[in-house]
Amino acid sequence: MKIHIPSPLRSYTKNESIVESHGSSVRELLQNLDHAYPGIRFRMIDEQDGIRQHIRIFVERNQVTDLSMPLKGNELVHIICALSGG
Amino acid sequence: MDSLSRTEKIRYSRHLLLPEIGIAGQEKLKQAKVLIIGAGGLGSPSSLYLAAAGIGTLGIVDFDLIDATNLQRQVLYDTDAVGKSKVQMAKERLSRLNPEITIRMHDQRFSASTAKELIAAYDIVIDGTDNFSTRYLVNDACVLMNKPNVYGSIFRFEGQSSVFSYAGGPCYRCLFPEPPEGDAIPNCAEGGVLGVIAGIIGCIQANECIKIICSIGKTLKGRLLLFDSLAMSFDELKIDRNPKCPVCGNLPTITELRDQDEICASQNQPGAPTATTNSNRVSTTKESTVMKEITAIELKKELSSGKELVVLDVRTPPEVALGRLESCVHIPLQELNQRLDELDKEKDIVVYCKSGGRSRRAIEVLQNHGFKHLRNLTGGITAWSFEVDPSIVVG
Repeated sequence: MKIHIPSPLRSYTKNESIVESHGSSVRELLQNLDHAYPGIRFRMIDEQDGIRQHIRIFVERNQVTDLSMPLKGNELVHIICALSGG
Repeated sequence: MDSLSRTEKIRYSRHLLLPEIGIAGQEKLKQAKVLIIGAGGLGSPSSLYLAAAGIGTLGIVDFDLIDATNLQRQVLYDTDAVGKSKVQMAKERLSRLNPEITIRMHDQRFSASTAKELIAAYDIVIDGTDNFSTRYLVNDACVLMNKPNVYGSIFRFEGQSSVFSYAGGPCYRCLFPEPPEGDAIPNCAEGGVLGVIAGIIGCIQANECIKIICSIGKTLKGRLLLFDSLAMSFDELKIDRNPKCPVCGNLPTITELRDQDEICASQNQPGAPTATTNSNRVSTTKESTVMKEITAIELKKELSSGKELVVLDVRTPPEVALGRLESCVHIPLQELNQRLDELDKEKDIVVYCKSGGRSRRAIEVLQNHGFKHLRNLTGGITAWSFEVDPSIVVG
């Protein structure tokens, strides 16, 4: 499935704004994403397995609150990041 | 309600021709009081268009002086305004643009102690801030004062916008409950931003503000607008009000305003670093690890004396390309964990970044891996450029 990557994390994806990955849940999707782009998961998920407070994940434009949320495989995923600039 | 003069009817005739605005809408705009917090990249286009649109009272909050690096996107200011007060220059520019309106200058830092009083005098707030600390303060103040918060933020080629704290909708903390720690997210002074992005997002903020005042269309309440200029795409995500939100939730824990201590872009201005001659100075990190500091002048003396030390630059490659300390070792902070073997634990290492924030984070990383002889360059390369070598350009 397609995953939109925010600017601050694109250094992990060779500057790609949209990447492909797969997983039967959001948790598995992020693990697979980390295999392809080592280190990116830790920027999104903290040591307590929670989504970092300045990162939000959306599946089909709705916010993910539970990493065990199941995925069918064809969803559109957005990862967004708080931006400070103005 | 104030009726429009003949001059105003001519000036705003293109608005008056729109059935959605007309004379009644233009009179609402004339009655409206809008506070723009931050007269920078976002505040420039939003204030220009809101002034042109005939917002009756426009307040501008900023404490900063105009810097040459602002001119690439802060279109309120001319080149000869460098060094002058932003709010003063903004007032002059906006008054020339539209003498029919009132411009109020608030030449001050937006702080917890004055936020409520300031916001109370306005109907709508435009968030044009450039750092997380002020952004969260704006949000909390708007929620507590029940004022709409027209949000915008930008970074590199990307922008976001929404309308928070409006008509029962979510607030910024419903989306991002807490600001990121330290240097988790670089700011525009570190990562850069395409000037046009500020123009596009600032104009979207002005657009949302006018819609709220005139009660027309569908605002961005409950929606986060994402703009990617490289893909030239707009996208939107659904944001729900969070019942557990610390400020607007059912059991709020934030009931009073507080200033948040963090590194922010507005601290990265030339002249900000303060020279001191106390070489025994230490600072404390968030984890209470003692960290030694060295000033630019002290470092210059040590390098001139031939003392053996490693100078480590942890900025990004584009920042380093603009200017660097001669014979420094360059390892971007993000790569430091993977490139520790390039550094000798036995040697004295002075770490620097732009202004001293990321280098402190780098020192924490090095300390965690057994490095002991570490010092942080106070004020980073900005201080070095200011106090030692003005030929170095800092982005």
